[in-house]
Amino acid sequence: MSEQVAFQHIEKSSLIGQRIKKPDAPAKAIGKTRYINDMVLPQMLYGKILHAGRPHAEIIDIDISAASSLPGVHLVITAKDIPDLKLGFVKDNAPLKDKVRCERDEVAAVAAESEAIAAEAIKLIRVTYKDLPGVFSAEDGLKDGAPVIQERFPDNKSLKFEFHHGDLAGAEAGSDIVLDDVFNVHYVTHCCMGTSCAIADFDHNGKLTIYSQTQYPYNYKMDLAPALGIDPGDIRVIQPPTGGSFGAKLDVYPFEPVAAILAQKTGRPVKILFDRQEEFINSPTRQPARIHLRSGCTKDGILTFRAADVLMDNGAYTSWGPTVPVIMMRTTSGHYRVPVVDFTGQAVYSNNAYAGSFRGYGNVQMTYATAQHMDMLAEKLDMDPIEFRLKNAQKSGETTPQKSFLRECALAECLTTAADAADYVAKLKKYTDERSEEGRYKRGIGLASSIHNAGGAKIHKSDGCGTILKMDDYARVTVITGASEIGQGIDAVIGQIVSEELGVPPEHVTLVNNDSDLGPWDVGVHASRTTFIAGNGARRAAIKAKEQILAAASKQANVSAEELDLRGGYVVQDKDGAVVTRLDKMLRQMHFQPEPDVVMVSDYYEPNSEPEGRDHISDHSAAYAHAVHIAEVVVDTFTGEVKLEKITMAQDVGRVINRMGLEAQMEGGVAFGIGFALSEEMLFEQGRLKNPNFRDYKVPTAPEMPEIEMHFIESDCAEGPYGAKGIAELPTIVIAPAIANAVYNATGIRFFNPPMTPEKVARAIWEKTQQ
Amino acid sequence: MSEIEQYLAPENLASALEVMAAGAVTLVAGGTDLTPQINEGRRSYAPTLINIRHIEGLSGISAPDGHIRIGCLTTVSEIRQSDLLTTAAPILCEAANHFASEQIRNAATIGGNICNASPAGDMIIPLLVLGARVELASWKDGGVVVRQVALKDFFTGPGRTVRRDDELLTAVIFARPAENFIGYFRKSGPRPALEISTVSLGIGGNLTDGRFSDVRVAFGAVGPTPMRGKNTEAALEGKILTPDVIQAAVVAARKDVTPIDDIRATEWYRNHLVAVFTEELLQNVCQN
Ligand SMILES: Cc1cc2nc3c(=O)[nH]c(=O)nc-3n(C[C@H](O)[C@H](O)[C@H](O)COP(=O)(O)OP(=O)(O)OC[C@H]3O[C@@H](n4cnc5c(N)ncnc54)[C@H](O)[C@@H]3O)c2cc1C
Repeated sequence: MSEQVAFQHIEKSSLIGQRIKKPDAPAKAIGKTRYINDMVLPQMLYGKILHAGRPHAEIIDIDISAASSLPGVHLVITAKDIPDLKLGFVKDNAPLKDKVRCERDEVAAVAAESEAIAAEAIKLIRVTYKDLPGVFSAEDGLKDGAPVIQERFPDNKSLKFEFHHGDLAGAEAGSDIVLDDVFNVHYVTHCCMGTSCAIADFDHNGKLTIYSQTQYPYNYKMDLAPALGIDPGDIRVIQPPTGGSFGAKLDVYPFEPVAAILAQKTGRPVKILFDRQEEFINSPTRQPARIHLRSGCTKDGILTFRAADVLMDNGAYTSWGPTVPVIMMRTTSGHYRVPVVDFTGQAVYSNNAYAGSFRGYGNVQMTYATAQHMDMLAEKLDMDPIEFRLKNAQKSGETTPQKSFLRECALAECLTTAADAADYVAKLKKYTDERSEEGRYKRGIGLASSIHNAGGAKIHKSDGCGTILKMDDYARVTVITGASEIGQGIDAVIGQIVSEELGVPPEHVTLVNNDSDLGPWDVGVHASRTTFIAGNGARRAAIKAKEQILAAASKQANVSAEELDLRGGYVVQDKDGAVVTRLDKMLRQMHFQPEPDVVMVSDYYEPNSEPEGRDHISDHSAAYAHAVHIAEVVVDTFTGEVKLEKITMAQDVGRVINRMGLEAQMEGGVAFGIGFALSEEMLFEQGRLKNPNFRDYKVPTAPEMPEIEMHFIESDCAEGPYGAKGIAELPTIVIAPAIANAVYNATGIRFFNPPMTPEKVARAIWEKTQQ
Repeated sequence: MSEIEQYLAPENLASALEVMAAGAVTLVAGGTDLTPQINEGRRSYAPTLINIRHIEGLSGISAPDGHIRIGCLTTVSEIRQSDLLTTAAPILCEAANHFASEQIRNAATIGGNICNASPAGDMIIPLLVLGARVELASWKDGGVVVRQVALKDFFTGPGRTVRRDDELLTAVIFARPAENFIGYFRKSGPRPALEISTVSLGIGGNLTDGRFSDVRVAFGAVGPTPMRGKNTEAALEGKILTPDVIQAAVVAARKDVTPIDDIRATEWYRNHLVAVFTEELLQNVCQN
């Protein structure tokens, strides 16, 4: 670097809102990234699990003799060989089972020298079952004399959530229009490209290192330890690059303690990796739900009440799935201004698969219902659909009945921006008129909106994140964060934020994370929270570092620290950008002086939200945001095929941080929503999954992705980093009801039971013509 | 661990046939059917696995004296991009366009598609419409013997054909369609890629002054095998495609097919699509 530059002036510039490349993208694109699935440790054994493959049975006998004596097999274990330790949300699950309660149930496990030997050994295990009558729906589970799934819950009732606000009977009486419909939201699953994997390795002091895809490394220890009977402090969690999570990795699932037990007993590292069929059958699903929704309004178009009675199939064990009412009720009470709210959510044990958390967490299910009811009310009122929604849209400063405080609320702006951009009102009318005309192909347009937490969600006691930041003598920055990178892009965002504050290029910021022995605590990557929480933490740490540097520079240059700034690798005068000194030189001078100092700061950021609480009356997120999607479809009324042509979206993002990451989250998010709306469905027959493969479980493919026009509304969130809000779940939540509303506009038929497959749509249209 | 005792990759047909004559073998071409079937446990390997991809002379598309001959190892991609077929039998390219995905098309062979004998095999439908025959080779008395079987007589059930275990399908052959031949293929599914047909349909014939003759109709995924639609053909043969004739063909088509419920579609939907596609393809012919 030439000293010439010392006479230059460096303008203030900002990276916020720019397109920042994801640091690991090139390695992923060329196949250099070593995912957990690729990892091999010295002396590693391969674990494999025998799954029951039947929904409900007693285990009479397990003969492992042939499997155990197969050359290359190190260990075969069953429930008998391990202590009776439990896992799961209500500790109703175990690593290995002594009774079968669902198809996936883990009955025995093997550790062997190779995957092939492990697979062969699994085939040699002989199990004698006595099949039991099963429960295959929540409704059946509640019937008198229904088989009992979990002995601790003789009535098959699992979790229940309630929220009641205001005088329901009075509100109903005061309604001019009341809608009453039942929505059945189906089973879908995450379909991570990288199938589930864990590698467990014990050292000789009894400390477990587990390589995991988990999204919540710190609490993961707390959940895993009881299933192993060890101290959580004796677990180190390392999260190598992973091929997707989307909520599927927010709990401990049996294969993880099984890998650890096999490793503990064999003294060798053990890897368990699912193949695609195992992944389909043995991964959590999205929580299915039967939503009985009633909504009312006055003839002037003012919402009077919303009442939701939600029945959930819990499946055989309790993971996060049946806790989704926590968010469902926020939608019921907060999706538009709802004065009177009545919400009940009950989960019922069955012999079906069990659900975990999944991007959108209950809100995908609930918004599918509430956003269609808003559309139906607008039509019944015969009111301009945007005017109706605007009348009921909250404004900044309002508080919902559950005390979500909408400090910056941009719902109205989202509505008008999207509607104007898509020419929604005119098209809606035009396509309604065209519906009765001749013609095979019908166009439709549909609008939906929703609200979601956008500043974390304090469902645990803390929603915080720790950050440690240090700088070296060459002005390179290392940030050690509790935040996990699972592909979502916090690596780029933290680089960008630190670079913004410290005036160094983003490439000069190294992120250290994904190792619980290194990173400070964080609650996990979920709830659209990481840019908000970890971004705030990184920014606060960077500001502390900056203050330390400017204080030192101020002493040296005899100018007050307030008059200095860091830009482009230099300490400069804030007012005109005149260079004072090179940043790396400054750091060395701080270091090599009589009173040496290095830049090494830490921060623990806890958002100012309130814990969810038992009564569900709390401002549980530091921010809330809205999004509006408009879907334009063409329906082939003969084949029932729905072609999604365009999405126009407007979302309150608070402030754009990394525009590229934001756009990618929108695209990925709607891809999930499109699959949920149109094609993806896990087909169960008597508890058995009939389509555990991508041939018959249809995720959207690239050519099905429509044009997406994105409008980002910047409401400037007071609490978020640079004004940003969390963004990642809304795109998945809002698109499906927008499509359903568009299909209605095209065909005049409401689809309350997604997915809207060609057959379902064709059949409904045909039945209508028969009437 | 596999049951395979011997893996062979012969370079000439005779040596492959000799091994096939000697005992049970599994043949693999592109492996895009075989591999998933093995993985799902629906099938297992015979002791000898023969990779036929290195056998000389089994791939490529040629036009010997008034015929078109497609070697069994020709991939779906090659069919899709073939200039000869684009001109002479575009219905085959049309089916190839809607077949699987780029990666699968590059590996999948026409011989594999036929021998797998899935009722939903997409290349089979246009071949039935083209009146194709298959060539089967085997080893007898120290030499290669060849027989031909009409494709419409080849299939006996799902995954079952008249091919003997010692026979290798070497090629599929059909008479070069006349100048006035018109053929259309249609397959269900909103996905532009990676869709297994719930119903597929092919219709072809010679169109002279609006009159449709030498009509062949074939259906996929609506019966135990891909099949010709005799009733539909009769309803159309020698006719001008008036709305009444088209409606009669739709009624006949529903009589030709015997669909079932499975996880991909119900019987109702398959019947419904048969009617929709029959009408649609006949409209296409009319508009030509
Ligand atoms: C993701 C995916 C998508 C697919 N999509 C489609 C689709 O859209 N449409 C469709 O029709 N199919 C589809 N398939 C199925 C498959 O790709 C085709 O049937 C393909 O043409 C099979 O050819 P292959 O060369 O791969 O056959 P292989 O798998 O190699 O062989 C198939 C069978 O035929 C036998 N065989 C192969 N060649 C010969 C021969 N010359 N003589 C005698 N026996 C032989 C084999 O022993 C085996 O039993 C799809 C498959 C996958 C995996």
